[in-house]
Amino acid sequence: MTGSIQVGLAALGSAIGVGLVGAKAAEATGRNPGAAGPIRTQAIIFAALAEGIVFIALFLGN
Amino acid sequence: MIFHRLLLVITLIAALPFPALFGAEEEEAAKSAPAGESHHGDDHKEKHHGLPKTAPVLYHGIGGDAETGKIGPLAITNSMVVMFVVAVGIIVVAQLATRNAQLIPAGLQNFVEWLVESLYGFFEDVLGTHMVKKTFWFFATIFIFILFSNWFGLLPGLGTIGWAEPGHHNEHISNPLLRGVNADLNMTLAMAAIFMVLWLFWSLQAVGPGGFLGHLFDVKGHGSGFFGVFLVVVFICVGVIEIVSIGVRPVALTFRLYGNVFAGENMLESVMMMGGPYFGWLAVLPFYLLEVLVGLVQALVFALLTSVFTALMCEHHGEEHSQ
Repeated sequence: MTGSIQVGLAALGSAIGVGLVGAKAAEATGRNPGAAGPIRTQAIIFAALAEGIVFIALFLGN
Repeated sequence: MIFHRLLLVITLIAALPFPALFGAEEEEAAKSAPAGESHHGDDHKEKHHGLPKTAPVLYHGIGGDAETGKIGPLAITNSMVVMFVVAVGIIVVAQLATRNAQLIPAGLQNFVEWLVESLYGFFEDVLGTHMVKKTFWFFATIFIFILFSNWFGLLPGLGTIGWAEPGHHNEHISNPLLRGVNADLNMTLAMAAIFMVLWLFWSLQAVGPGGFLGHLFDVKGHGSGFFGVFLVVVFICVGVIEIVSIGVRPVALTFRLYGNVFAGENMLESVMMMGGPYFGWLAVLPFYLLEVLVGLVQALVFALLTSVFTALMCEHHGEEHSQ
């Protein structure tokens, strides 16, 4: 079994980031259900940006 | 009108990844390794290694040679076959839906109108009423194409119908006939590159070259004296960082879509192996549904990120217009 520490760390960080984005988006939707649409849009954008780190680490890191 | 533009973009996208850059590199690498030994050595690893990173070349093109791995012009890889199928499918559906357009839509026309109108409303929120008229054709095409190629890539038969290596049993197909479109780096790179060119064009059109540089470096109106000079230096540094972040955008777009689809295909394959010969289908079922969701979310993410990048650069113009 092989692996690389930088990809593992990047995956850990981006997983935490995506989790935080999701948690806060759910919380925000609960506070103001009327704003569900814009919140969803922003949550997807920021989740995608947090997620992008792991791919950069995966493909450019080795 | 919108559909004509959709068709135009689909044909553009379909024509772009012809050079098959990344496929060629792997062929070269495979050629340089000693042929006989590598095959025997890889036998045990090959059973679990899943999807190859690059798409195998089916037809080596004019002047190309399958024996030596030389790639000629108009070479065709298996992901390109799927891309053509998806593109033709979208074109045919669009034509069928609009061939006999009714004032009160029904059936297929109703569905297509619902899809296009929902997308229009969605992008209007992001881009504003002025920009969305100019750019809707691109973002909607990107979304529809990525969505349906992702879902097409999940159909049973992709990756399992093809040619096995001579001397192997059929358990490992080394040259599948079909492959998910976005599991090929050439495709995602082509889409990101087209977007960056269009982004530059739209930005220059909306704010002009001076406004473009002004947006990057933001040098105007920082007062005078020592502090003003200091701020100008700071904002020039910020502009350099901004340029780097813009340069990373196409790379991130490319790898995000490719990584998600490619990793999804590999995950499905390895989970299927975990389930054993009889229960593989059951083990893979929840992950299959997850991949359906990922296909939708990634299409949304690509279209949304590209439209947000466009809106970031062009929105000043829209505000000035309305005032």
